[in-house]
Amino acid sequence: MPKLTKDNLEAYAKKAAAHKVKDVIRVGMSTCGIAAGAEEVYEVLKNEVRQRNLGIEIQKCGCSGKCYAEPLVEVIVKDLPAVVYGKVDKTFALAIVDRHVINGELLNDHIFDVQEANGDEK
Amino acid sequence: MITANINGIPVKVRRGTTILDAAKKINIKIPVLCKHPDLDSTAACGICVVKNAGSGKFLRACCTPIEEGMNITTHDNELHEVRKTVIELILSNHPNDCLQCARNNNCELQKLAADFGIREYPFHQLKKGLQPDYSTKIINLVADKCILCGRCINVCQNIQNVWALSFLDRGIKTRISAAGDINLADSPCIKCGQCSAHCPTGAIAEYDETEKTWKALYDPDKYCVVQIAPAVRVAIGEAFGYPEGENLTGKLYAALRKLGFKAVFDTSFGADLTVMEEATEFIQRFVHKKGPLPLITSCCPSWVDFMEKYYSDMIEHFSTAKSPQAMVGVLSKTYYAEQNNIDPSKIFMVSIMPCTAKKYEITRSEEMFASGYQDIDVSLTTRELSRMIKQAGIDFVGLEDGKPDHILGDYTGAGVIFGATGGVMEAALRTAHYYITGENAGIMDFESVRGLKGVKETTVEIDGNSIKVAIAHGIGNVEYVLNKIQKAIAERKEIPYHFVEVMACPGGCVGGGGQPYGVTDKLRISRSQGLYLDDEKQDFHYAHENPYIKKLYNDFLGKPLSEKSHKLLHTFYNPRPLYRK
Amino acid sequence: MKVILLKDTDGKDREGLFHDKVLDALQKEGISDKWKLVRVVDIGIYNRGVALKILPAGFTYTDLTEEDIPGIVRKSIKEGKEIKEKISSVKDKQVKIVLRNCGVIDPENIESYLETGGYQGLKKVLFEYKPEESIEELKISGLRGRGGGGFPLWMKWNFARKTRSDEKYVICNGDEGDPGAYMDRSVLEGDPHSVLEGMLVAGYLVGAQKGYFYIRAEYPLAISRVQKAVDDAQEYGLLGNNILGSDFSFSIEIRLGAGAFVCGEETALIASIEGKRGYPSPRPPYPSVKGLWGRPTVINNVETLANVPVIFTKGGKWFSKIGSPTSKGTKVFALTGKIKNSGLVEVPMGITLREIIYDIGGGMLNSYDIKAVQTGGPSGGVISKEHLDTPVDYENLQKLGSIMGSGGMIVIDESDCMVDLAKFYMNFCVDESCGKCAPCRIGTTQMLEYLDSISKGKASQEDIAKLKKIATAVKKASLCGLGQTAPNPVLSTLRYFEEEYLEHIRDKKCRAGKCKELLEYTIIQEKCRRCSLCFRNCPVSAISGNNKEGFVIDNEKCIKCGNCFEVCKFEAISRG
Repeated sequence: MPKLTKDNLEAYAKKAAAHKVKDVIRVGMSTCGIAAGAEEVYEVLKNEVRQRNLGIEIQKCGCSGKCYAEPLVEVIVKDLPAVVYGKVDKTFALAIVDRHVINGELLNDHIFDVQEANGDEK
Repeated sequence: MITANINGIPVKVRRGTTILDAAKKINIKIPVLCKHPDLDSTAACGICVVKNAGSGKFLRACCTPIEEGMNITTHDNELHEVRKTVIELILSNHPNDCLQCARNNNCELQKLAADFGIREYPFHQLKKGLQPDYSTKIINLVADKCILCGRCINVCQNIQNVWALSFLDRGIKTRISAAGDINLADSPCIKCGQCSAHCPTGAIAEYDETEKTWKALYDPDKYCVVQIAPAVRVAIGEAFGYPEGENLTGKLYAALRKLGFKAVFDTSFGADLTVMEEATEFIQRFVHKKGPLPLITSCCPSWVDFMEKYYSDMIEHFSTAKSPQAMVGVLSKTYYAEQNNIDPSKIFMVSIMPCTAKKYEITRSEEMFASGYQDIDVSLTTRELSRMIKQAGIDFVGLEDGKPDHILGDYTGAGVIFGATGGVMEAALRTAHYYITGENAGIMDFESVRGLKGVKETTVEIDGNSIKVAIAHGIGNVEYVLNKIQKAIAERKEIPYHFVEVMACPGGCVGGGGQPYGVTDKLRISRSQGLYLDDEKQDFHYAHENPYIKKLYNDFLGKPLSEKSHKLLHTFYNPRPLYRK
Repeated sequence: MKVILLKDTDGKDREGLFHDKVLDALQKEGISDKWKLVRVVDIGIYNRGVALKILPAGFTYTDLTEEDIPGIVRKSIKEGKEIKEKISSVKDKQVKIVLRNCGVIDPENIESYLETGGYQGLKKVLFEYKPEESIEELKISGLRGRGGGGFPLWMKWNFARKTRSDEKYVICNGDEGDPGAYMDRSVLEGDPHSVLEGMLVAGYLVGAQKGYFYIRAEYPLAISRVQKAVDDAQEYGLLGNNILGSDFSFSIEIRLGAGAFVCGEETALIASIEGKRGYPSPRPPYPSVKGLWGRPTVINNVETLANVPVIFTKGGKWFSKIGSPTSKGTKVFALTGKIKNSGLVEVPMGITLREIIYDIGGGMLNSYDIKAVQTGGPSGGVISKEHLDTPVDYENLQKLGSIMGSGGMIVIDESDCMVDLAKFYMNFCVDESCGKCAPCRIGTTQMLEYLDSISKGKASQEDIAKLKKIATAVKKASLCGLGQTAPNPVLSTLRYFEEEYLEHIRDKKCRAGKCKELLEYTIIQEKCRRCSLCFRNCPVSAISGNNKEGFVIDNEKCIKCGNCFEVCKFEAISRG
């Protein structure tokens, strides 16, 4: 890995500006999330997505501040706004894959945050 | 220079001066407790707080540098209330049993409480319940009385570089102990007593052996004899109201006889004897190349302990001559006994030393029994002697000067200056000069070895020979000297010194761990001055001219380093572990 | 992606009803296949009845009645028009600067940070600004230390910059010891590179080449994530020699704490890194002049450093527009206690406590009224409910007898006892006092003794005067901030709740029912079935009576163990 120079740092900035968020699922994996059971949820999501060949990346992310709602799972799939599900357990994680990711459904009584437009970065 | 105001009075001092010192300059005394003039401030007690106009915060006067334009108030109602409350807090965590304490009437906490007019204990009494450590039978650690000022730790770690003492646990449970929570006797402690010398309370005190001594003095079967060290005579006066450094040799002889000692000797005689043996040793090594250089003095038992524990690979550099105390001790039960037809088994030899480590030295190894008996039965500190004099109803101030028993009591100026740092070196060089040139040097010829500088390095010229010497006092200063020597030896370069003197206590024995409390550099200087003045007024200034030394060799020992000298007056050294068990 | 969010924000449970109403209306308008309706758990609005949010337009309506629905569906949803009279003005009050990347990027992937514009701040400082200009930018921003001290950042860095030395150091203070505070933990776990970038900027501006992270050992995840960030930065040339091709070189080492709150104090932290006992030292000299190994050292809080890159990418002026006149920028608070939405909130300085608690925090957790808010951890105080409209900034909180501290904010309700709270914090200080100075070491223990006896109904009136006397000595004569602020919770609760203290002393009552020894247990005769279970379970035979005439508790004998209360099957024992 060659070391960064100020010019290729520039390239990252440009990449950042032009970047469109691709489909991704983010699991809150800070201590608050892990204490609430996020590691299990992360594993379940990874396995499920792999088994079903869904080609969607499962990422770790930090604590967004909504600690009372952990484990938090943010789901960004095309045509839908970015949705953050909270108090996710193993069962619900499977439901997220099944109904939201595959079927494009938004699941009632579990959403803690929604981003205004699709593909927007914070 | 900084200009500021303290209590409305202008003061001008150098940058970096603390508020405490600036106030002293204009005769304002800010109360302190944990601060010791020798040591950097630990800022622990919170008594020395003062205010600066324009800020509600309190500053600690002992460690805050005064700054341009400051307007300090040292005394007002608020400060007084806070200081008093802090003292009451400290007393709430203290046994407050002064009447049974080693520092009764001589305790810094007691004095502070008296000055502040403490009349009640308003808060809950919080008992510490810690076990005392008497394991060394030399230095007692009574952790219950400790006010956690940190002076002993500072001294043991930073000044002495021994690192035997430490704080353990935290918060209200903090206590002092040998590091690692072991017995002090099992630790690297070299018994120098500097911790006790700096302790403001009775938390660290010497192991009292006055009862043992009284018992012997009152025992009709025992023939008690005593020797006093050079440094004692210029410090004992402090217990009786004399000015600093006053030489009270005559009164000491008289007092000791009144206590009941049948013979009074002087360790300064032993010092003259040590010079004879050691200077001869030096000539052997320096002139005749019969032994490794540098030669390092060994009359300080803390230093010997330190060398055996930390630098045992340098043991061959030690002079094998015993300390002056040990020499007088062994001779009292052989030479003196023979000369006076006394059964040596009945002789009870007491030494009065400015030192706590001498209590260790007297049973250090089997050579300390060279007379066939324990050469010295008890070693007492200056403090213990002053208590005994007071208990015996002796009016010390009113005494007529007495005389010693000349046979082991007459000394030269060379012997008495042993008590000051550089004194051993100076005395030895005077005799070495004679051995090399056949003539006496001037008594101030080696003045450059005097003074309180931590490491003194100088070269003296004797008849075309350049003798490089080093004098270190305070064990923390010895590392520099030893490292220099070791490096030269390892790199096969020219050794930096031929002759080295080491004293464990800063200032030399005058600042010893057994001296009256409250030692400062000022006191070290006055006490040393007292010794140098004693040197000046003596009839003889050179150890080799002491008539009683000459008699000793003629009648008994033969000559320096003779077989008999070796048997009685020399010792061996062994590596010792830092931690026992 | 047309979505309608529905939430019943005051918990009156009418969602099902409204859900159906909206579905009906959508059907009637013929647009049900174009719109997704979903019930959400949190819509960012609290206590405003039924709320509805339309995306992507963003129109939000609150306090809806069933009659409102058809009109909204037609005008706002179908026709996409804003109904001005009904539109809600409630906005999200959080401003995420420090937490900008937390929950967004992958903290274990440096590419993730770079792709959000990471290290652009460093680039500006290295190549586009002169060092004096960078310092000026920080001055304009008004950023103050977020660890609790509130000292202007530019000034601290300038002192170190101006002091000549062969070596200088930058330390990030990740010791975060306040109970209930975990803002720094989340930043270190969620966006470690932002802190690294801050340290690099600090290092360049003060002239340091070595940095230390001091992280408490109780944060293993933070430690491993920071270590990964350091390793990755090294690999990418953002640490080491000639960073980004400049002549600035910097390396970072991680050091762990060992369980001492006092090592969050900067001089004790330095002692800890030097391998010594974690004892504070007197200041002056200040670390920026004489710190680690006697060299100029800047020590900054995690949150402070995380702000630095943004000040350079968005400008000091931009930063200074956020916040209050004396306190610029945002503050992350760990909002906990009797609050619905406990967690981390990042808000502009100057927001009121009321807004934080009710507009972001979702209001009180259960039916008890709010009593006070505790800020600043064991160094802080309580702010009683009368002052909830105070704008939160450094100076205002101090005036009220508390401090900002590192950001702990605990909501207290009527079931909490103020004496118990003061006792809790004093116990913490006694535990964590390093023991070096007498005022703190002994003073805190004594204060705890008095608080304990007050909580047990064993104190006398003059004990409050003694408590205050000791508090003054501890506050004024302690060596470091731990001792100097340890009396704050006591003094603050005494200031606003002295009556509660007096009730404990004079009436031997604890109105919140928290102080065990002051609880009185009584048998409610009407509910009592005379089964004698309590009688048989009392360890001190304080209950007397029989199955016929009933039972009675002798409160003199009672040791308040609560056994009777626990074993009674008929809820016939009252406690209070």
